[in-house]
Amino acid sequence: MTAVAWAVFDSEGAYLRARTRLIGNERRIIGEWLPYAADSLGEGAGQAGIRPATVIAGVAGAAALFALTSWSAVLAYPFNSGGRPLWSWPAFLPAVVEFGALIGGVGGVAMLFRRAGLTRLNHPAFAIPEVDHASRDGFVLAVGCDAGPDANAVLAIMADAGAVHSRLQTP
Amino acid sequence: MTGRRWTLPSIATLSDVTEAVAAPLMDRRAGRDWWLAVIGASALALAGAVAIGFSLEWGPGLWGNNTAVVWGFPIANYVWWIGIGNAGTLISSLLLLTRQKWRASLNRMAEAMTLFAVSMAGIFPILHLGRPMYFYWLAPYPNTMQLWPQWRSALVWDFWAIVSYLLFSILFFYVGLVPDLATLRDRPGSRGWQRFYGFLAMGWQGSARQWRAQERTHRTLAAIAVPLVCSVHSIVGLDFAASLMPGWTESIFPPYFVVGALFSGFAMVVLIALVMRRALGLQGVILPAHFDAMAKVILAAGIVMGASYAAEWFSAWWSGEAADLRVVRFEFTGPYRAFYWAMLAGNVLAPQLFWVKRWRTRVPVLIGVSLAVLVGMWLERILIICETLSIGYEPSFWRLYAPTLVDFAILAGTVGAFVLLLLLFGRLLPVVSMHETRKLLAEEVGA
Repeated sequence: MTAVAWAVFDSEGAYLRARTRLIGNERRIIGEWLPYAADSLGEGAGQAGIRPATVIAGVAGAAALFALTSWSAVLAYPFNSGGRPLWSWPAFLPAVVEFGALIGGVGGVAMLFRRAGLTRLNHPAFAIPEVDHASRDGFVLAVGCDAGPDANAVLAIMADAGAVHSRLQTP
Repeated sequence: MTGRRWTLPSIATLSDVTEAVAAPLMDRRAGRDWWLAVIGASALALAGAVAIGFSLEWGPGLWGNNTAVVWGFPIANYVWWIGIGNAGTLISSLLLLTRQKWRASLNRMAEAMTLFAVSMAGIFPILHLGRPMYFYWLAPYPNTMQLWPQWRSALVWDFWAIVSYLLFSILFFYVGLVPDLATLRDRPGSRGWQRFYGFLAMGWQGSARQWRAQERTHRTLAAIAVPLVCSVHSIVGLDFAASLMPGWTESIFPPYFVVGALFSGFAMVVLIALVMRRALGLQGVILPAHFDAMAKVILAAGIVMGASYAAEWFSAWWSGEAADLRVVRFEFTGPYRAFYWAMLAGNVLAPQLFWVKRWRTRVPVLIGVSLAVLVGMWLERILIICETLSIGYEPSFWRLYAPTLVDFAILAGTVGAFVLLLLLFGRLLPVVSMHETRKLLAEEVGA
């Protein structure tokens, strides 16, 4: 791979056409940027671990608070309130459930940051003019290829699919 | 084209969506009306701050609370605000999970409403502590006195409910907002604003990988949010139901409180959406059909509220419990009866106007019914507390309740602060989700 072919599409349909043809042509798509979460993205990279992280964090948070409530009410500060048992576990549950949900959410968002590579405010992708379109109205594809006839074939597929802009980037 | 459209035909391209939402925010200066609203809301907030200052200096003796009606305005207002606050995240997450297309134009406003309303709700239990400077004692932390919170107390439940729900709602709001912050960052504008939005966008590029992660996280959070919201307002319902007072010890309270929250929350979303639509010129993405859909929900919730009131009366009659029957008689014929009838009119009768299709999209009717519902729900929160506590089991403890000017000033202050936060929200962040509306448009017209 000695070059990257860039293309911008103004509709999801055109972008999907190009994507399908490029994959069918055994081309290597090295980057995709979109203005919304298209259903056509399907399952793939970026999703792994988000739900498990949410569940694990939520259960761990709830268990930790339940342990704290039990320990503090029974051992650290046993307080007789109207003769109720010290380990009044049903009464501990409202706080435990709420806290578990919160920590589950924190776990999920932390995994989102990790999977999406967020907090990288200065990423090389921001220097690419085509990527700028993706946050407003453009569907962007980047395809690895070799300069010359190979690149021309890729650019032709993109243009045929309806690219409104394309270019070849060589080192 | 796939059936009904939720955007106007004038919104034809993805760029149109971006411009319809971002241009009023970034290209137009705040107008005279906005500044007048800011001044009015600030004046109310200031009045509330002064009243809170007096309350901190001289204590709860300035309020109408007495030895019987110990909860009074602070807890009633807390329940009202948290009800409105619960609805925003519930509306947004429920509509997301059920894939309701009309969600795209309203979810951002509903979620912002949640954040601001829950913040207002949190003020009241703290003030009501009597010694608000020690509110942090509700949190468990190692201390030299070796004290720990009383986990069996409804006050501690409220602390966890408010804090957890507020922080969770901020996460949910932010996950949905990040792509739009990147849009504002990349849109031509002043360097300062680009830096501001760029920092908040946290490096969002819109790559396929990021969208998959964002979508998965958003739906996962929504799946947690629905039971969380129900549990938060159920806890508020349990504050009452777990006590031993006539009219409160009823198993219907938790679900009845959740429906009441949805009811008042939708009424508030209708008002906010009407104002934002007009002020920011969002007629292209907020259509009469959106108000029609919300009016139907308000109508359905109003019917459930009516059934819940009837269930309360029936339970009192069926149980034969003298104290419960006395409370029901007190509601209809006692000194607060005018407020009770007004509450029934606002919560049960007014929403019936929405049976008429054309009234579901008429602005004056929408405003009138939404205000009636909000006032009706506020009266309900006040009356739940005042009626039961005014005429409990022990006749020697029967006292009537009358709020003071300070009570009203604190309530007005929270209303002012809430409106002020909404005004700032309308000037700083996109009030409609641009990325979700783009997706909606693409589905509708294949843009």
